[in-house]
Amino acid sequence: MKEQVVCKTTDLEPGQMKASLFGKQNVLICRTLDGEFYAFLNQCTHQGAPLDKGMICGATTDKSKPGEYDYCRKGEIVRCPWHGREFDIKDEGRMLANPNKKLPSYKVRIENDDVIIYK
Amino acid sequence: MAKNKIAIVDTDIHERVQYKDILKYLDEPFKHYITNCHWIQEKHMPYTQPAVAGVDRADAVLPDGRPAGSDLTFMQKQLLDDIGHEYGILTSALDPSPSSMHGWYEMATALASAYNDWQIEEWLEKDDRLYGSVHIAAQDRDAAVKEIERVGSHPKMVQVLLPIDDIMWGDPFYHPIFEAAEKHNLMIGMHHNEPPVYYGKWPRYFIEWHTLIPTAHMKQITNMIFNGVFDKFPNLGLMMIEGGFTWVPHIMWKMDQQYRDLRHEVPWLKRKPSDIFKEQIRVTTQPAEELTKQEFTSLIEQMGTDEILCFSTDYPHWDYDSPTRALPNMDPDLKKKIFAENAKAFYPKLPNS
Ligand code: FES
Repeated sequence: MKEQVVCKTTDLEPGQMKASLFGKQNVLICRTLDGEFYAFLNQCTHQGAPLDKGMICGATTDKSKPGEYDYCRKGEIVRCPWHGREFDIKDEGRMLANPNKKLPSYKVRIENDDVIIYK
Repeated sequence: MAKNKIAIVDTDIHERVQYKDILKYLDEPFKHYITNCHWIQEKHMPYTQPAVAGVDRADAVLPDGRPAGSDLTFMQKQLLDDIGHEYGILTSALDPSPSSMHGWYEMATALASAYNDWQIEEWLEKDDRLYGSVHIAAQDRDAAVKEIERVGSHPKMVQVLLPIDDIMWGDPFYHPIFEAAEKHNLMIGMHHNEPPVYYGKWPRYFIEWHTLIPTAHMKQITNMIFNGVFDKFPNLGLMMIEGGFTWVPHIMWKMDQQYRDLRHEVPWLKRKPSDIFKEQIRVTTQPAEELTKQEFTSLIEQMGTDEILCFSTDYPHWDYDSPTRALPNMDPDLKKKIFAENAKAFYPKLPNS
């Protein structure tokens, strides 16, 4: 199975993301606030925007009631730089407004301080 | 992104000025009011911006922090060269449009002129692909006509831009503007500025406002048609920019029905409203709702012509439409029309090779 070092663990602080290459594929490496790493195809499922140019942030969640915001999940949501669609890093890259859609993802493993991704 | 095989005429690109860039084109004392008296334009919109980088595509903000759309070289690289535009029409972001400013008509008029000069010198004359829009402060109608006379004959100016806001442009008071535009082979481009969409007010949420922008487009079309603008100026065309297009059959049917009942009140209409629409009004595609090929084809059938829609990206705004992803697959002939030929046939000053 093909695998590849895509960055060093020190390249990303918790709550950050960056683009990298996996073979010829443009991938997005995300690090959540608990220090975990995740990898997705760096292309929005909507119109293909480069997700690394967006934002890693929290979400106003579905616990919110009309007129009352519940904001949490900090560092666990990727928002697209174009139309702002939100993808849940910790839930297989599912889109918040339509969980049937998800970002294609990769498996991630850490060895020493290498971030390795594989299919 | 690979270059597109088909020609693309992009009917809505927002170049943006920063005051410091426009100052040299501004006459005194208006320059003084900005540099020494710190005048800034009013903003109307009450919302904190909901997307990642305000109303811009986050990846279109310049690496040095300047706002999206303010640098030609960057725009060439990210948009025109990358996609392979044949032509692009600039629709600006002088925010709000001079015609939407409240009070101080002199400042609005001066800004419109400075903007036109800046646009011509810094954009239109530097890139063959770019065509422009004449800015006016329409509230001072006579000054607006003078401005059209001053720059309207520039070979790369293709339309006069009016904001969709709270002024209904079909009112006879504004007809001299249409007369001047027609005289210079300019079309009218209408782009929403910050229209109040709820009975003259702002809704509570941006998402409500943004959902209902097309209602403001429908109001302007209804107003322009029934006030007889298109009968009075048969060579004038109207491009409705950035309202999407799925509402087009609805307003055609509605106006035709009303016309059959109430023609008595507007006897100057010599054609039914949907025919006026088909002949003199065009609509840009963005922001396109996600339709299947079947839904899209059926919608075009309902419009009764495939010559109304003209592709647009709205670069560099957050709700940008990608030419390869925003619209469903369509037959090659239709694709050619929507992506280039309809716009070329509409704007008399756009080369139609
Ligand atoms: S391209 Fe990502 S939300 Fe549209």
